[in-house]
Amino acid sequence: MMSTFVLDEVEAGNLLSSYGIPMAKTVICESFNELDAIARDVTFPVVMKILSPDILHKTDAGAVILGISSLDGMSKAYQTILMNVTTNCPEALIKGVIVQEMQSKGLELIFGVNRDAQFGHVLLFGIGGIYVEILNAVSMRLAPLTRLDALEMIRETPLGKVFQGARGARYNEEEVIQVLLNLSRLVQEHPEIIEIDINPFLVYEHGKTGCGVDALILCEKD
Amino acid sequence: MTEHELNGLFQPKGIAVIGASNNPLKAGCIIINNMIKGKFPGKLYPVNQSEENVAGLNTYARLSDIDDVVELVVLITPASAIYSIMDDLDERMASKNDVRFIVCAAADYAETKTEEGIKRQERLMQAKDKYGIRIIGPNCIGVIDTVSRVNTTFVDTGVSEDRFGPPGGISFISQSGSVAASILAWGASKVIGIRYNKFISVGNMADIDFIDLLEFLEQDPSTKVIGIYMEGYQNGKQLIKVMGRIARKKPIIILKVGRSSKGSVAANSHTSSMSGSDKVYDAAFRQYGILRVEDLWELLDTLQAFDKMRLPDGNRLFVLTQAGGPGIYCSDEISKYDFIETPMVSENTKNQLKETMPRMAAICVPEGYADITASATIRQHCDSLRYVLMDPSVDGVCFITVVTPFLPSAQLGKELSDTYWSLDEKYRKPVYFCIMAGEAVIPCRRELEQTGLVTFDSPTEAVKAAKNMIIYNMKREKETQTGQ
Repeated sequence: MMSTFVLDEVEAGNLLSSYGIPMAKTVICESFNELDAIARDVTFPVVMKILSPDILHKTDAGAVILGISSLDGMSKAYQTILMNVTTNCPEALIKGVIVQEMQSKGLELIFGVNRDAQFGHVLLFGIGGIYVEILNAVSMRLAPLTRLDALEMIRETPLGKVFQGARGARYNEEEVIQVLLNLSRLVQEHPEIIEIDINPFLVYEHGKTGCGVDALILCEKD
Repeated sequence: MTEHELNGLFQPKGIAVIGASNNPLKAGCIIINNMIKGKFPGKLYPVNQSEENVAGLNTYARLSDIDDVVELVVLITPASAIYSIMDDLDERMASKNDVRFIVCAAADYAETKTEEGIKRQERLMQAKDKYGIRIIGPNCIGVIDTVSRVNTTFVDTGVSEDRFGPPGGISFISQSGSVAASILAWGASKVIGIRYNKFISVGNMADIDFIDLLEFLEQDPSTKVIGIYMEGYQNGKQLIKVMGRIARKKPIIILKVGRSSKGSVAANSHTSSMSGSDKVYDAAFRQYGILRVEDLWELLDTLQAFDKMRLPDGNRLFVLTQAGGPGIYCSDEISKYDFIETPMVSENTKNQLKETMPRMAAICVPEGYADITASATIRQHCDSLRYVLMDPSVDGVCFITVVTPFLPSAQLGKELSDTYWSLDEKYRKPVYFCIMAGEAVIPCRRELEQTGLVTFDSPTEAVKAAKNMIIYNMKREKETQTGQ
């Protein structure tokens, strides 16, 4: 059995950012005293959630609080999250609490990578969000991707029409192409990556830059 | 270019059939008969310990008894005999050293996953290890080359030789022997029977596998299009790369089964739960321009379209029909594929049609569609087809006619094909002829097909073949444009 490890949200975000994939600003808070400094550094509203390798379903554990808009709110959220986690998951290893800038509503996409036993890294793109499997509006290609492959991936899903301007939409297709090409480069340079899930990745109209909100990366331990 | 090693498999000097028989219920009888029926011009040596002659040919008790050169050995004996046959082969190789290929049709080898089955296959494979003999099978129905007239299969299609067309450019590789047999039989039962160029049932692929054969077909000058039936392959990535390279030169049409099998590893992420192995195959086929089809009919129709027609220059498909119902049905089929566009023919073309077609005819209402009505004469069928093909906005035509009692079926077919072939070469665009329906219109379809045109059972089949041609063309064009 291959042994694996998971990059936490912050590590995954940093790795993806370093490959030119924009990610929502995320800061780790390791003690209550740091909240004040963090509050001055971020743009409200923010979301706070537990950072723990042992808690996969954070919402169920009461470890996610949305729409916080002041230092006072951050302090309360910090205490609530830790209390809930102590009650609901007493065994979990706690690395801190994440403060992440909340993103305005945009078009939710998913970007993913899976390392197939036969084909190696396979890239996935499509409609993101919580119903991603149910909607199953995704396309796939083997890495490495050419620009044409990336374009075909977009055009193959229902999003193709959205990016071509259906109903007056003005999303930037180039931004998606770049994320796909960057992901392809990332896995070419890191064969140890087994899975990547960026869901949702939000894109906006009228030139506003999009960003990934949640990311998971699974790697093979050597 | 040096000759591909597998050329010898299809052009052997001397074939020995071990297990040849006079018993018409035995595969060893059908193989010999197929070879004689197919007029194999080389030497044929039946090997059989109990019969003195098979189908009028002298038999040999052992392989090592044959004096002349034997390059191909076909095994159709029960698998349990493999040990003594291989000893016999050892003897032959020690004295003559001439065998280059074995087609092992018999089953009950490693595919059974039993200790004995695996042992038998290992014994068979020693022929490769010791002498470099290349092996097809075991557990297959063999190979056919209609150019050199080698046919080691034991499939009787039941179709007489005169109902087949000349050897075409379709070569086929099948992983399943039964599907291979069905592809042969269905192909034979077409209006004009398909004579596959090369036909290979690969069975267990103990030695020669998909990649070997694809690379052979890649450089085989008489193979124009490649069909594949596949269940699985251990090195998907390498296979896809080879296929992708070949598909740029020769279309590859694949029927791959196993869509229903779930991904083997428990899913951690959304991505892995949505990327089961068959979906990855599907994506890889698209990426590399390999056409995956849904069923055996689409497979055969698409292979024929690629073999007989030239590629379309674009994606604009005109519907020319003589009856409303089938025309609408055809348009519905086309609407399933959003990359197929409606041609906007010129005013000149519209006027030509209006002036020459029956008064009731609906010309380009809607655009890209003409209904010349059931009162159309043969002349009007032919004229309308000519006008539409000559319009520069048209890349291909779905031509539908329901042969009425007042249209002589064979005459219609003859005049349509005369019209088509009398056109300037640049106007001989792909035409997907749907002559409806059934047995009654076979004379018409035969006339068309005899001259190298392709006919389809219904608009569904016609449109599937058309969309596959369009996809292939679009992929090649995009690759050329982007240099990728």
